[in-house]
Order: sequence, then C-alpha cells, then structure tokens
Amino acid sequence: MNATVESRVDTAIIDEIISRHKGKPGELLTVMEEVQEASEFKFLDDASMEYLSSQTRVPLSRIYSVATFYSFFNLKPQGKHSLIVCRGTACHTKGSKILLDDLALLPGCKEAFDSGETTFTSEDKQITVKTVACFGQCALAPVVAVDGVIYSNVTSEQIKKLLQNLQEDNKDENFRLS
Amino acid sequence: MSANYLLKRADFIFKNDNDWEDVLKKSLSRTPNELINELISSELKGRGGAGFPTGLKWKLSSEEKADEKFVICNADEGEPGTFKDREILSRVPFKVLTAIAICGYVIGAKKGFIYLRGEYFFLKNELNKAISEFEFFCKEIKFDFSIKIFMGSGAYICGEETALFESMEGKRGEPRNKPPFPSVSGYMGKPTVINNVETLAHTFTIFKYGSKRFYDLGVQFSRGTKLFSVSGDTPKPGIYELELGMSLSDFVEEFGDDDTKAVQVGGASGFLVPRKKFAETSIGFQGKLVGISLPTGGSMMIFNSSRSMYNVLDNYLNFFAEESCGQCTPCRVGCQQLLRGIKAVKRGEKNAQYLDKLLKLAETMQFTAKCGLGQSVANSFASIVENFREEMIY
Repeated sequence: MNATVESRVDTAIIDEIISRHKGKPGELLTVMEEVQEASEFKFLDDASMEYLSSQTRVPLSRIYSVATFYSFFNLKPQGKHSLIVCRGTACHTKGSKILLDDLALLPGCKEAFDSGETTFTSEDKQITVKTVACFGQCALAPVVAVDGVIYSNVTSEQIKKLLQNLQEDNKDENFRLS
Repeated sequence: MSANYLLKRADFIFKNDNDWEDVLKKSLSRTPNELINELISSELKGRGGAGFPTGLKWKLSSEEKADEKFVICNADEGEPGTFKDREILSRVPFKVLTAIAICGYVIGAKKGFIYLRGEYFFLKNELNKAISEFEFFCKEIKFDFSIKIFMGSGAYICGEETALFESMEGKRGEPRNKPPFPSVSGYMGKPTVINNVETLAHTFTIFKYGSKRFYDLGVQFSRGTKLFSVSGDTPKPGIYELELGMSLSDFVEEFGDDDTKAVQVGGASGFLVPRKKFAETSIGFQGKLVGISLPTGGSMMIFNSSRSMYNVLDNYLNFFAEESCGQCTPCRVGCQQLLRGIKAVKRGEKNAQYLDKLLKLAETMQFTAKCGLGQSVANSFASIVENFREEMIY
C-alpha cells in the first residue's frame, strides 16, 4: 500500500497514547482506537501497528487479529466523509439495498462493491461507504449515518442530495433533510 | 388453545426516574439477602433473550468469595430489530445506574461497567454526565461505588457475555467455554454479574414497588412486563411495554397492517412465525403448558405479503456469516454453507431436497456450535425454510 509510508502515525504520538493507558485493563483496544483516530486517514497502517507492537510487547499477530475482528478498525485509508448504511433486516425490507446500490455508483467504487466488499472509498478519497449490521433505529428504517449524524426514512432521492451536499462541502444543508 | 389473553399495555420502564435517590437509599438500608429474595420472588428473568432468573444470578455471585467483583450492564444491543436499550439509556439512565449500584451492594462489588455498543457513541456524553451526578450522590451517602462506560468496537458477538469480557480485556471478542459461568469467573476472572439494560431497569421497578407488583403482571413462567421493539410493516413502529404472555394474534391485530404474513420474534437469532400459527403462539419464556411460547429479546419484526421470505433469510444469513467470530468450525463454515446453499437452490443448481440437507446442517450447528450465536442460526433458518419452503425454491 503506497499510502502507508507517508500516512503512518507519528511515533511520538503513539508513545504518548501508550503511556497514558499503561497498566489499565483492556488497554490494547483503547490504544488502537486512539492511534487510528490520530491517523490522518483514520486507519491503522502497517508501520504504526508494528511500532505499537514493538513498544507494548504485544505480538503483532495479536494486534492484527484484534484489528481485523472489530468493524471499528480500518486497515485502509478512509475518505474524508463516512457514510454508513444500515443493513439490518428492518432497513433491508425498507430498501436499504437500493441505497447501497446508489452509493456504489460513486466513481471508483464499482469494482470493490461487485466483489462483495462492504467498505469502499470513492476515487477522490472524499467518501467512504460502509455498512453496519443494525443501528438500532429500526422504527425509522431505512437509516443512514453521515459523519456520525443519523438520517431516518432515507430515500434514493435524499441519498443523492446528501452526496451532493457532502461533495460541495455544504454539510449544514443536510440537517434540513431529516 | 386460542388466546384468551389480551394485549395489556404497561408503563413502568419509562416512568420518570427522579426518585432514584430514594430507591437507592431505601435499598441500601436492607440486607443483601432481603434484596435477593425480593428479586427471586418477583420471578424476573433476564430480558436480553436468554431468560436466566435474575435473582439467582445475583445470589450465585454474592456467594462467591473474591477480593474483587464486578457488575456489568450489557448495552451491546446489536440484535437486528432491537432498539429498546438505547431508549432506556437515553430516557431513564438513572434507573439503570441505580440498579447497577444496588447489584454492586448485593454481591459486594465496588465497580460497575456499562458496555455500550460502538454504534451508540451518541449516547456517551449524556450518559457520562448522568454517571458523574450519580457518583457524586454515592459519595454523599458514603457508598463507595464507581461506574465506567466501555465502548464496544463494532462486533455483534460481543453481546455474548463471555465474548464481552474478552473484549473488555482488550482481546478479540471470542466466546469462552462455559462453565465456569460469569458468576464464578467473569471479567478479569472475577465473579461478575452481567445483566441486560432492560433487566436492570426492571429490578429498579421491583425495588421501588416490591416484587408482588411485578409478579402480578404477565402469566405463569413469564412474569412482569417487557419492552418490545416493533418494526417492519407496521403503521406504528416503535417501543411498547407490554405484559408477557400475549398471543401473537392479539399482537398482530394491534400492530399489523391487516396484511401480515409473518412475524419474526427475537431478531435474526429468533423464530419466524407464519400467520397460521399466530393463535397458538404466545410471547414469553419456555415452560408454558399449551401451545408454543417464544422467548425474545424484544424484537418483533412484522412482514406483510409483499415481502419475500427468501430475501429475509438471505439477509439474516449474510448477517450471521459476517458476524460469526470464526472461532468454532460449525458456525464459521456452517453460516457460509447455509448461505451458499439457499442461493444454489434458488438458482436451480440444487434441487429442492437439498433444503433438507441444509436443515440437517443447521440442526448440527445448533448442537455443536460453541456459543449462542452459532446455536441460534438454526432458529430462523428452520422456521423460515419449513414454513415458506416454496419461496425458497421458486
């Protein structure tokens, strides 16, 4: 991955995160979350995980096993905005697959989507689309979260509008949707 | 066998919680044994879906000798179609906090945790504010207890109690072998009571009004009320508190859209009930003498005649294949094979009898999978395939 070298998290930042959580039970998950937050493209790059392993004496295999287990951790660079489509059964019956299909039309997404990937990022690195098993908002299905804000009863039309607003950096407009 | 039990609404859980200080003080003035007996006589069973008697759970942990014990509130609400815990934590957080503290007093724990699922990050700030206020009051009355939130990182399996401990210990959330049970060896290997958010909220009701008030609601083996998350093809989706023991036909009459074809009780790991079985099915814990009684974590998803049951099953199996932790073979391989199998039948690559082979596979998973996730795949699989076989084929 080319992005790895340039986008690795500063070792000083990792040191600081490790020392802040040292000795607390279950620290590894928290440390990894914070390292990911500190990364510019919100993902855990190989170099950072290796460094984390060497400093904490936790085997790299375990760090990697944790990173691949939880959906919160990303192993690829993320787009500027995140768009999470709920694929729970209530959302599914109310058409969340159609919304996902709409999003797969973003430039550069088709290949990943067709091969069954549940996370894909647009060519211009602006938007990452992910799915979630259930948002727990089933009464408001279908549900989509844009940069952490949840939109309910979303239609195909609205998804297009949401995307347009994101691309034009016009996010405040989105709040009028829900 | 038809229902003589009508839908009874109740309003305990979301009643305001501004008397929590009194309930806490009153409870702390009683002995742990009195409180345990109060819970046992209420016959409250766990509301997360498994239905273990709550009083017994507390009693078992209280009898353990250890230098440290823990109380954990399981708020890893990830079952598709369930959203009651989110609502409880945002509307009546103090009930839950009070119940955690009372449990701590009963079993002798000084620390409580709320394991909040990662997708509920938006609850965290308000909840932390409530915790600060709560801990401040505990200090005032010289009761030594602290509560911390632990955020999940997005894994359905972590709702399984031992997987949840693993996750809190900074590992992959893979379920442990049982026994030992959490009451003996839970978080960090210490005796731990782990209860669902709703269960804890009910204990608040019981400590406030006494066990009789709770016991008088519901039916035999299924006492009290329960929150139901109603979604799907219904004109009134939302959360409703109902007495346990209602028949599914009464439920559908109230919440259906006059075109209800089937109801999925208990989310992806629950059972699909077709229309012809509505009357004989009631909602509650097992042990009912006539008809079928289905336990549920509260998810009630209604499907009308426009829905393809094949699509529903496909959605569930995709979910399970994705969320299987991969630790044990029956679940890891079984989920994927079931999914491939129904696709092959649908495409005509396999004949209809192949479904029987898949049913056997599901049954095998039920017996051999290590934890509740793998064991419960057969619930939805068998109930959908057996009742809507033709939809699987054509």
